[in-house]
Amino acid sequence: MLLRNRKFLLGASIILAMVIVGIVGTLLTQPELRRTGSFPVRLPPGPGGLLGTDALGRSVAIQLSEAILQSLQVGLIAATLGTFLGALIGFVSGYFGKAVDAILRTLTDVFLSVPSLLFLILIASLVKGVGVQAVAIIIGAFAWASPARQSRAQVLSLKERTFVKLSRLSGMSSLEIIFVELMPNMLQWLGANFVNAFLAAVLAEAGLSLLGLGPQREMTLGMMIYWALSYGAILQNLWWWWLVPVLTLMCLFLALYLVHLGLDEVSNPRLAARG
Amino acid sequence: MAAYLRYLSTRAVLWLVTMFISATVVFIVPHLVPGNPLSSVFSRLAAVGGSLNARELIEQYTKMFGLDRPLWQQYLSFLAQLARGNLGYSISSFPSHVSDVVLPSIPWTIGLLSVTTIFSWVLGSVIGAVVGWSGGRSPLFQALVPVALVLYTVPYYIVALILVFLFAFRWQIFPLSGAYSVGLRPELSLTFALDVLHHATLPALSIIVVSLGWWFLSMRSLITTQKGEDYILLAEATGLPDRHILWRYAFRNALLPQATGLALSLGHIVGGAIITEVIFSYPGLGWVIYNAIKSLDFPVIQGSVLLLVVAVATTNFIIDLAYPLIDPRIRQAGRE
Repeated sequence: MLLRNRKFLLGASIILAMVIVGIVGTLLTQPELRRTGSFPVRLPPGPGGLLGTDALGRSVAIQLSEAILQSLQVGLIAATLGTFLGALIGFVSGYFGKAVDAILRTLTDVFLSVPSLLFLILIASLVKGVGVQAVAIIIGAFAWASPARQSRAQVLSLKERTFVKLSRLSGMSSLEIIFVELMPNMLQWLGANFVNAFLAAVLAEAGLSLLGLGPQREMTLGMMIYWALSYGAILQNLWWWWLVPVLTLMCLFLALYLVHLGLDEVSNPRLAARG
Repeated sequence: MAAYLRYLSTRAVLWLVTMFISATVVFIVPHLVPGNPLSSVFSRLAAVGGSLNARELIEQYTKMFGLDRPLWQQYLSFLAQLARGNLGYSISSFPSHVSDVVLPSIPWTIGLLSVTTIFSWVLGSVIGAVVGWSGGRSPLFQALVPVALVLYTVPYYIVALILVFLFAFRWQIFPLSGAYSVGLRPELSLTFALDVLHHATLPALSIIVVSLGWWFLSMRSLITTQKGEDYILLAEATGLPDRHILWRYAFRNALLPQATGLALSLGHIVGGAIITEVIFSYPGLGWVIYNAIKSLDFPVIQGSVLLLVVAVATTNFIIDLAYPLIDPRIRQAGRE
């Protein structure tokens, strides 16, 4: 079903291609080539120079292969954390209802309406200089609101179905019902949510990095743009330095969006029928 | 009227709760970092060699926020200071208050954001309605959809970078950065106004181009679903002119979810605009935050974050207030 969806296939293959480029590029380069001054500075892209070099004598291609993997890692960690937290909060809120629901729903509404980037800025500026994983965890910790609201709605509609009522009558505990009966019914839907959170996390990481709050000692797509901008790559006409990460980010966003659309159509066949 | 008041009061409560919870998060976060909430900032500041007035500053802060007292008392005094509009002192320009640093930037951010958001929302909705109503028969309309999809997935700042490169660096039609030319004094004159417009064009364009795509797509699909509704069929059967049905019937109904969409994505827009300001060195709140990050001025970051939260929450509240104007059901709820 999923493998016959064109949008999903196209998006997934773009991401797969990126991963391969990242892994192959990282495996092929000796560590000492990553240092500044390993190459002549400001080399334009071409047959000899691949994607060119930056003003510090680093190869853009080597940076890119490292950055792709790290940015994807941020997305993976943050989306996993955010979706898991969100699903948990949404489940509890939707399943138990009453006061628990009222409190959690208000919290969700608040965190949905307030730009989470602001809280991320606040935290990141206190723990400045942390690594990729830490940035990912901080992003994930604020990515739960949207999956929480949606999984709550899902639980509310599933809760009233006969099979759930039946399992409650047969004496299953709440936790058992959540994990055995409700979860499997929501997996595909959670997948679409995960991809959404992934996209948002990569976006947030790039945003934080551009503000100077990214993982300073490591390379991500956002950090690549940050370094290019802080050395005035645009004004020096080193277009390959900033354009390469920018285009890669655009491709990644588009690929993730296509995967999201594909998952949506598969888990919600009415959408596909509408075209 | 009673229904409207009840609606109003629940919205007002949510508005206050949002600001209260955000202020609480802003208070708690520094405490999650080990050590004195300020000490980590000061130690790093000392490493940079910028802590000229550090001791005096620490004393002022300790006194003002009662850092030697138990946590709950600190929290209460934090809220009390906030309620009075006191955001504390800036570290990098010490004797001045955070509000002195932050306030001058607010008009720039509000100006840029309100104009671009309203403009792209209206324009995107209108184009989306026309395209959705026509059912995408012309090839031009069909081509618009993938273009909008691509634009919608791209963040503001990437469009901003490309615009800077093309229009400010390559062709030099618009200035690279700033909100007005160096040497020009802010005043109410035509020269200054034109200069501001000239500087605001690229930042505004980068926000408009991206958000236009989304408003277009969502209005297009809303109108498409409206088209199948019974009331539209009835209107068509009575022989009303096509244009009348679109704008008086379908469009008005589609405006409701479109307004909800605006309220929901406000936070997203503000987040993106902060970074757009950084790319254009546009002297709004985003630029203030960026500079505060560079100079490790945590109180200024905190104050700007709080101000933006309040701004977003308040705008959402205002949209909520306007909701009954477009939705008679809210006005008349409870009458039956």
